[in-house]
Amino acid sequence: MKAVVDYIRGPWCIAIYTWREGMRKKTLVGFLILSLLVIFGSNFMSSFLDPSSETDMELKLIKDICVTAIAIFGMLITVFISASVVPAEMDNKVIYTVLSKPVRRGQYLLGKFLGVQLIILINLALMGSLFFLALYARQHVLPTLLLWSIFLTYFSFLIVSAFTFAVSCASTSSVLPTIAGLFIYLTGTLTEYLNDVFTRSGQSGAFIDKLVGYMAWCLYNVLPNLARYDLKTQIVDRAVNDPPTDALIPWLVLMALVYALSGFLMAYIIFRRKEL
Amino acid sequence: MSVVIETKNLNKIYEGARRRQDLHALKDLNLSIPAGEIFGYLGPNGSGKTTTIKMLLSLIFPTSGEIRILGSKDISSAKVKRSIGYLPEGAYYPDFLRGEEILEYYGKLYGLTGKDLKRRVDAVIDVVGMSHARNRLLRGYSKGMRQRIGLAQALISDPQILILDEPTTGLDPIARKEIRDILAQLRDQGKTLLISSHELLEVELISDRVGILFEGVLQTMGTLNELLTEREFSIEVTGATEAALSRLAEKGISVEDRVGDKLKLRVAEGHSSYEALELCRAENLNLHSVAPRRETLEELFVRVVGAAEAKRRQAA
Amino acid sequence: MKRQPNIVVIVAFIATLALGSLIGRHVDQLRRAEAFYRWILAAAANERLFAEENPDYKDKELYDSVSSVAESRLPELALDTKVDQPGRKLSRLGRLAGEPDYADEIWNLARGNDLVQQRQSFLDYARGRKLQLAKDIQYAEAQAGGVNVFNLFFGFRKVAATFVWIQVDRYWHQGMLYRMIPMMRTCVYLDPNFVDAYLLGAWHLAYNATAKMPDTPQALRKWDAKHEACVGEKERYYYLAVDFLRNGIQHNPYNYQLYFDLGFSVYKQKLKDYVNAVKYLSLAVQQYHQVWVPRQLYICEELNGQYEEALAGWQDYIQRYPGTQSALDTAPRFILRNKALIYEKEMRKAREAAKAAADPQEAEKLRAAAEDFKQKALQVWDEMKEPFSEYRKSRLQAQEMAEAGRYMEAVGILEKARWEDPADFDDAADLIIEIKLAGNLPLSVSEKKAVLRKQEGETCPGMPGK
Repeated sequence: MKAVVDYIRGPWCIAIYTWREGMRKKTLVGFLILSLLVIFGSNFMSSFLDPSSETDMELKLIKDICVTAIAIFGMLITVFISASVVPAEMDNKVIYTVLSKPVRRGQYLLGKFLGVQLIILINLALMGSLFFLALYARQHVLPTLLLWSIFLTYFSFLIVSAFTFAVSCASTSSVLPTIAGLFIYLTGTLTEYLNDVFTRSGQSGAFIDKLVGYMAWCLYNVLPNLARYDLKTQIVDRAVNDPPTDALIPWLVLMALVYALSGFLMAYIIFRRKEL
Repeated sequence: MSVVIETKNLNKIYEGARRRQDLHALKDLNLSIPAGEIFGYLGPNGSGKTTTIKMLLSLIFPTSGEIRILGSKDISSAKVKRSIGYLPEGAYYPDFLRGEEILEYYGKLYGLTGKDLKRRVDAVIDVVGMSHARNRLLRGYSKGMRQRIGLAQALISDPQILILDEPTTGLDPIARKEIRDILAQLRDQGKTLLISSHELLEVELISDRVGILFEGVLQTMGTLNELLTEREFSIEVTGATEAALSRLAEKGISVEDRVGDKLKLRVAEGHSSYEALELCRAENLNLHSVAPRRETLEELFVRVVGAAEAKRRQAA
Repeated sequence: MKRQPNIVVIVAFIATLALGSLIGRHVDQLRRAEAFYRWILAAAANERLFAEENPDYKDKELYDSVSSVAESRLPELALDTKVDQPGRKLSRLGRLAGEPDYADEIWNLARGNDLVQQRQSFLDYARGRKLQLAKDIQYAEAQAGGVNVFNLFFGFRKVAATFVWIQVDRYWHQGMLYRMIPMMRTCVYLDPNFVDAYLLGAWHLAYNATAKMPDTPQALRKWDAKHEACVGEKERYYYLAVDFLRNGIQHNPYNYQLYFDLGFSVYKQKLKDYVNAVKYLSLAVQQYHQVWVPRQLYICEELNGQYEEALAGWQDYIQRYPGTQSALDTAPRFILRNKALIYEKEMRKAREAAKAAADPQEAEKLRAAAEDFKQKALQVWDEMKEPFSEYRKSRLQAQEMAEAGRYMEAVGILEKARWEDPADFDDAADLIIEIKLAGNLPLSVSEKKAVLRKQEGETCPGMPGK
């Protein structure tokens, strides 16, 4: 136990420091402000609607727009922050001062990664609480189900974050990993397409056709499928016990954790003998 | 005296895309720095100083050869790293933090906590003379203050070894002097300092020993007394004609400096002072003074580097 | 020595990636099972409530297969007399649809090993767009065309649905009804869980769209085989609303609002079809629901002549929501009202039995019993002291008079009563016609028209058996 505490102490300091520094990044603050504007603005979307309508259509509007805004801006924040924490330190040479201290590279990475997660979580919490406030102002009930929705959103971000982080460890500037992160996100959401390629392949009987199909199948099975996390939209609507959602959530969380570990190990493989 | 930093046949090759593009940054480096000395690690830009330092800190890894720090081969171990303080060249420190907070952060990375941490932070702030600004945000710091904070973070764990990469670059003369004083003070406390620089005057003023690196090869290494010769001397004269000067030049007496009518003549190695004075008198020059002349580090540097370049040309 | 940990890390990396991929496959299986489960719910709701069949699709074939497996796996529940048609064979699966308490059982069936084959055919059919009720499958695996572009942008599909709805709303304000309907369908196609769209859409169709339409004369109405009714212009929209809500129920079988709107807003208020109103309101009550849902159910039961159920319902209501305004005020009134209505019903029954009785002694006994029921009813009405109770008293009196052949007096009483209680004007008018016809009294012009309408009956062109 003491060994674990000793091992984690350094990373924890780095994580807190990363968080404090990250929250000052201009792009990040920009995204946050934008998303907060969208969430706030969704309250005025109702001006498009018939004021006499009896059901609370505005509520649905606010929910959908906010969930989407949180997802999109959260993803952007995730990608930008995961792509930049390590390259930024390489760029301004802070990494030299840190790694020359008794901090192992694995510990350093762990600290940075935890810091990134802290930033993402706190941003989600900020967006989420404004969202809650917007809903509460209208409904006067706390939308606890939405907590689950944001919770799941975070786990899909966790996967994107881990792999973007791994790419960023191989790079010296944050531009490439940012593009890679967006690409990881897009690929993750579109892996179903690969499965579709597989089901349609082999029609011509040509070897290359089969090969492409087989490769698509392999990729489909290895890459994390982020579309699976779309479940969150079902949660927003559900009012009663929905057994499939209950069955899916723990598996989705587990999947995110395992893939995040895998992304982190990839980062470690890249970083452990990297010449700085 | 025990050897603190030692390298044996250390080589570093930065691999290019093709073999021809490989960069042999460090060739068979053999360094040995005993405890309690200030070692000036000199060389022009790109000669391999920073490469050596990064290898010492295991930020990069040697292609071949061996490094021992405090006798240990496992230089990335926490034990070794705890005894090293490092000030990188031109590092950035987050300007949203207070001076104190940055030191706390680095202190925690050394595993310092609670009272120990506070005591160390107070101590290093005192050493670098930043007590007046410890609660200010780094944003409001001058360049010199930042460099001092950098020095303070290197000192936070009270390390035996200090590795400083270009510690005075870009600072004004007063700040340089202050940093120099701090370093001398640290040496007096018994710490071993490795200072890399291309600013020779700085190093000359404080180093016990220097090593000159050029194109990855350690050209020479020794104490300043060993390396800087005192075999030349200079003569101050007035009333020289151009013809006289050219005749003197043929005999190995050259003009070093000229202020109005006053000339400073440099007498090359191999002439005795009498012989030189005789020559001057023969040309009817008015003698003002005769003084022995110690070689500057700059001259040594130019000499060593020049010789190395000449050797390379010859080889080519 | 330096190399070794690297290999360990690489092995760990590959292992976690493989584990992640395995979990991913499991999640995929669950999501397919989920799609299957949602289709089963829709198809079961269809079997129980609507019994619609479309030969172009494979829903029925697959459902029958699923249902036959489910028959031995699911618990048997007694038929719900309020919802299920007596005499119709209903599968266990069909019976359990819409009961949230059994959602877990259906889910376990959908994901379990018993239905491996059916699940596979479901996926194949869904991919080939052969399933009418599986429209909402968002998971591209089961979706024709492979990739759903909307998945790209998270819940974008839902936002799109919302914006389509704003367009629907705009069309409504511009009075473009014909444009609204396809847009409404697009909207719920994009987001099948958009309950408000179903509700508002049905409301537009059943109320707003028909507000300025004239009633269609019976002769001009057309037979609608699907809904088994003669429909005029207004009714066409009412049934569009019914279909829209049915679609909503299939995709959201556990949402009380859809059942409520179908039962109350459309069947009760617009179509005056109290049988169906009771059916859907009973289903609404079975879901998680608001306080006012059961109240409407009991009122519809009363309107449908199910006074005993209504009475039991109101009594239960007081138990369930003690201290509320409606439990203190409304429920006791309705309890009295249904009690009296039950007495009246018993009285009528006894009288009819007395008329039919061959044995005069028996008949006398029955008449005495009828009188007893009447007194009890009057006692309750006296207790109530409301326009309705006063009307009911007058009504009893008028019927008594008519029985005794004093038709003019009976009509007089009713004329007075219906002015005092306009809420029961129509009921009084019907009774007046009945009495006038029995007593051969002359009818007014509007009464003659009413009689003619009744003679025409509920028939229309195209109606089977005509």
